[in-house]
Amino acid sequence: MHSIETINLTHRFSANEAALSSVNLQVIEGTIYGFLGPNGAGKTTTLKLVLGLLKRQHGEILVFGKPFANDRVATLRKIGSLIESPSIYAHLTAVENLRVLQKVYQCPKERIAEVLDLVDLSQTRNKKAHQFSLGMKQRLSIAMALLHNPSLLILDEPTNGLDPNGILEIRELLQTLNRLHGITILISSHLLFEIEKFVTHIGIINKGKILFQGTLPDLISKRQQNSFVVFETSNDVKAAQIIDQFNPSSRTEAGRIRVPFLDNESIAAINQRLVQNDIDVYQISKIENDLERIFFDVIAE
Amino acid sequence: MNFINSLQSEWLKKRRSLAAWLVIVGGFFTPSIILMARIKNAHKFSAVYRSDDFWIKLWNQSWESMAAFLLPIGIILAVGLITQIEYKNNTWKQLHTTPQRFSTIFFAKFVVILIMLAQALVLFNVGIYLSAVIPAALFSNLPYPVASIPYRSFLITNIHFFVDSLPILALQYLISLQFKNFLVPIGAGFVIWFLGIGMLSWEYSYLFPYVHSTIDFLVSSGQFGNRKIPPINIQLLAVIYFVIITTVSYVLYVTKKEKG
Repeated sequence: MHSIETINLTHRFSANEAALSSVNLQVIEGTIYGFLGPNGAGKTTTLKLVLGLLKRQHGEILVFGKPFANDRVATLRKIGSLIESPSIYAHLTAVENLRVLQKVYQCPKERIAEVLDLVDLSQTRNKKAHQFSLGMKQRLSIAMALLHNPSLLILDEPTNGLDPNGILEIRELLQTLNRLHGITILISSHLLFEIEKFVTHIGIINKGKILFQGTLPDLISKRQQNSFVVFETSNDVKAAQIIDQFNPSSRTEAGRIRVPFLDNESIAAINQRLVQNDIDVYQISKIENDLERIFFDVIAE
Repeated sequence: MNFINSLQSEWLKKRRSLAAWLVIVGGFFTPSIILMARIKNAHKFSAVYRSDDFWIKLWNQSWESMAAFLLPIGIILAVGLITQIEYKNNTWKQLHTTPQRFSTIFFAKFVVILIMLAQALVLFNVGIYLSAVIPAALFSNLPYPVASIPYRSFLITNIHFFVDSLPILALQYLISLQFKNFLVPIGAGFVIWFLGIGMLSWEYSYLFPYVHSTIDFLVSSGQFGNRKIPPINIQLLAVIYFVIITTVSYVLYVTKKEKG
């Protein structure tokens, strides 16, 4: 079942340009979905539409399998969110900020101490929020999003402005929430390396269009498809003829033979054949595109 | 029950805020000035404290600046400050993703502002009482006022001023919800109020909601002069304005394309 599904979601802020074009987002229940895209790609617009912060113009939004607009209040009861920068009342303490929401969600008061503990803010519970560092504010925002035990967490760039340690803490917290509490998480980011280590699914959006959507292994396989092996030999012409028998897509350039992705067995077999044909092999190197490169390639497509 | 919870949530937000302090300062401002003047010139007030109309005079003296100046300006500032709590902290989006109907959010915040107005009036009344009794307690030549307090008439006047203020409150709320920039509702409020004061001598000035409390005070204290008494009940007019403006404000709020 999809926790979130958008069907042909299209949105325009002005008549000339579509901020979103037929976005079909599919967030499967129980997963951590990384929503990737450069700044201005349409991530926040999509998330705002899903949460009802923007008026839907075209397309459908299903949350927990039901149209969001049909039962906005009941649906929001099961969602925790953090959109863009932290939304906290600076003149109130951490506990008071949570009390504001506890009243609305009508959840037990004990949850306040629990979520503060979860985000490691118990020691600063009575400190006013304006005295918090950005990392603490982000953590408090996450505590606020978790207060009512949501089954779906929507986080828009929650690691913005955090130091590497802060990013690591948030990552570990989200992994724990997903694994131990089964919370579905939709997290957006413009940096792949920030989320690739813990997401199970990835969606890449650029200029309002979804360019890739699938599991992390799907993306990794795309990486393999974009990797290649380079051979440097004593006789490129003869070597290319031999290699062509294994993979006809090889290409010779600047004294090197470049072959699209090969498994280790094929590399060994080619090497063996080259040596058997009296060709000296000086170097065999595997060039793999990292995920960041794939991300940029997908965006550039 | 949901509305009460939302109201409690909204009430919590104004804790330690400028709006909360404004209610206290606004409520005690004029009585404090009167108190200081009486302490400084205590020797001149012996006869005043023994007069039968002590409370009426003090009441009118206190309300003079409150009705014309402090009440409208206090409302303009307080309403702007309450909505700014959300703008300044970037929390509208958080608020609009909580499981509350938009109507609940709109009216919970609105009711908080109404309660703050009532709170300011209560503090003002307490301040008036203290400005009378503190000098009596401090100076032996000043007795506790011999005149009895006309509770009923004071209560009615309070209710009148509360109702007179409702259109200002509703219009300021409307503007504050539509504009993020704090200066817009404050500037608009001041301009409308200035215009109203400037048109006070005009026979149709009562149509201008920002001067209802001023007209009400001038009429009730017999200072309206030769001007034509408004042909309509000011409070009734204020309620009509209040209902219309609040309805428009709610529709504009609910139909806003972006909520955060």
